[in-house]
Amino acid sequence: MFRIQCCKSTNIHTITAMIDFFSGIIEYEFLRNAIFAALLASISCGIIGSYIVARRMVFISGGITHASFGGIGLGYFLGINPLIGAIIFSVLSALGIRTFSKRSEIREDSAIGILWSLGMAVGIIFIFLTPGYAPNLMTYLFGSILTVTNFDLYLMIGLAVFTGLFFFIFYRLILFISFDEEYARSHNAPVETINYLLLALIALAIVIHIRVAGIILVISYLTIPQSAANLMANDLRKIIFLSIFLSFAGSVLGLIASYYLNIPSGATIIFVFILIFAIVRISKTVSAYLKKKKIGKSAFRFTSYKRTPQTGSGPKS
Amino acid sequence: MKLLLQLTNVSAGYGDEPVLKDINFSVHEQDYIGIIGPNGGGKTTLIKILLGLLKPLSGQVTRYEEARGSFAGYLPQQSQIDTRFPITVRDIVLSGLMSAKGKFRSYNGDDRLMAEMMLEKMGISHLANRTARELSGGQLQRVFISRALISSPKILILDEPGTYVDNRFESDLYKLLEELNHKMAILMVTHDVGTISYYVKTIACVNTYLHYHQSNIITEEQLEAYNCPLQIITHGDVPHTVLQKHEHTHDHSHD
Repeated sequence: MFRIQCCKSTNIHTITAMIDFFSGIIEYEFLRNAIFAALLASISCGIIGSYIVARRMVFISGGITHASFGGIGLGYFLGINPLIGAIIFSVLSALGIRTFSKRSEIREDSAIGILWSLGMAVGIIFIFLTPGYAPNLMTYLFGSILTVTNFDLYLMIGLAVFTGLFFFIFYRLILFISFDEEYARSHNAPVETINYLLLALIALAIVIHIRVAGIILVISYLTIPQSAANLMANDLRKIIFLSIFLSFAGSVLGLIASYYLNIPSGATIIFVFILIFAIVRISKTVSAYLKKKKIGKSAFRFTSYKRTPQTGSGPKS
Repeated sequence: MKLLLQLTNVSAGYGDEPVLKDINFSVHEQDYIGIIGPNGGGKTTLIKILLGLLKPLSGQVTRYEEARGSFAGYLPQQSQIDTRFPITVRDIVLSGLMSAKGKFRSYNGDDRLMAEMMLEKMGISHLANRTARELSGGQLQRVFISRALISSPKILILDEPGTYVDNRFESDLYKLLEELNHKMAILMVTHDVGTISYYVKTIACVNTYLHYHQSNIITEEQLEAYNCPLQIITHGDVPHTVLQKHEHTHDHSHD
């Protein structure tokens, strides 16, 4: 990371800031925690987000995220840890969306829209009813990787370990069910169980990472690195590993940038994610263009010198 | 010939009104049955019952000699599958071993070798590392056939197998099916009645009720008697409902 940064910019201030940042990691616990949180978030979200993107579940994830705000409000109102309220709300709304859209004539995207706004409304009302000022409300809305507590980190470690193990053991089953549910069902695979477990896992991942990225931004950890990885690889396993890497790299770069520019960390990290995505997208287009040019040239050579009917049979994409 | 599967007085459907009523139907070893019928007549529902994807509202489904996990191979309609899903061709074929493998056992080199062999047989072994979205409809169809066959099923069920394939592959496919028919029963849903009467041994007409026709030659009068009108809606092709002697026409002009 360090090398990349200093090669990009020879600005002496940048280097000083970088050194500041790295000595800060050694010196300050909150920076160490932030890096550690970024790593854990990248592992959990890299895995679960790849699943979300592959199965086109981004919208349902957005719905779950916002529905959890109701739980945060309830937590404030009852004086318990808002995270616990959020976990309950998000898991229930995740399972609720599926069950509703399956058992009644409400379609899934409508069910998502309804629970999304219900959660937000409940949250606003409870926070309004809670006497006094809600001190950490902004943290829940926008997140703050720099203020993660040890409790948050324990939760994130637990989630990362569980998610990693779950996908390691059931990878093929998850892959096959996600690709063709009906075929899996015809082979007596536990389709419903796996689907519901993964939905619950999505809900948990969202809530636990609200502390890091906030309700408004948590979806970025679950979609942007994965979408970039999706452009580079075409196999779910590779997409998972790539998005973990891109997500961690983006988080650290974002942290450095936010430290140097003195701007909010969450938003900066997401900006870096988008930047990574754009770079991947553009370089893909450029390399495809160069390949095409090369093939075009070699085909020309064939026809002009050797007179063979062969033409370049390079990949279409 | 050994009985593989039997439906006794089966009614099936999704709401209160059954799509299929009083179905009595059995599949024996080496059967080659064409399933025809109008759209909405219950062909897909019948397949779901046969595959165990749908529980009947009443009646009984009996499976004989259930070899562990490899009872029925199934070739779905491509329109039901998200072909942009990030999965390699090799993995798609391996997914045909899902029930043989159970929930926990991992896939080993033997399984991968078997998948390669299936792809080799279908002439697409060079595509093993590609993903679904990089393939043409015909190539994907071969992948799905490999998936259906990798577990050496007792029954092979095909839903409109000719839809996405070119003419050449279509005739290859029917040759392959004829060969496979020595080892397994084949059930094929199709709207291409010309083809069906040429290759299949018997015909099942499905329109709420099921009429089993013990021959591969069926006349228009018989179809009418079975209450099985064929509303053949094909793309630009002239529908041919006259199914006289082995008249083999598969001159589909669709892409």
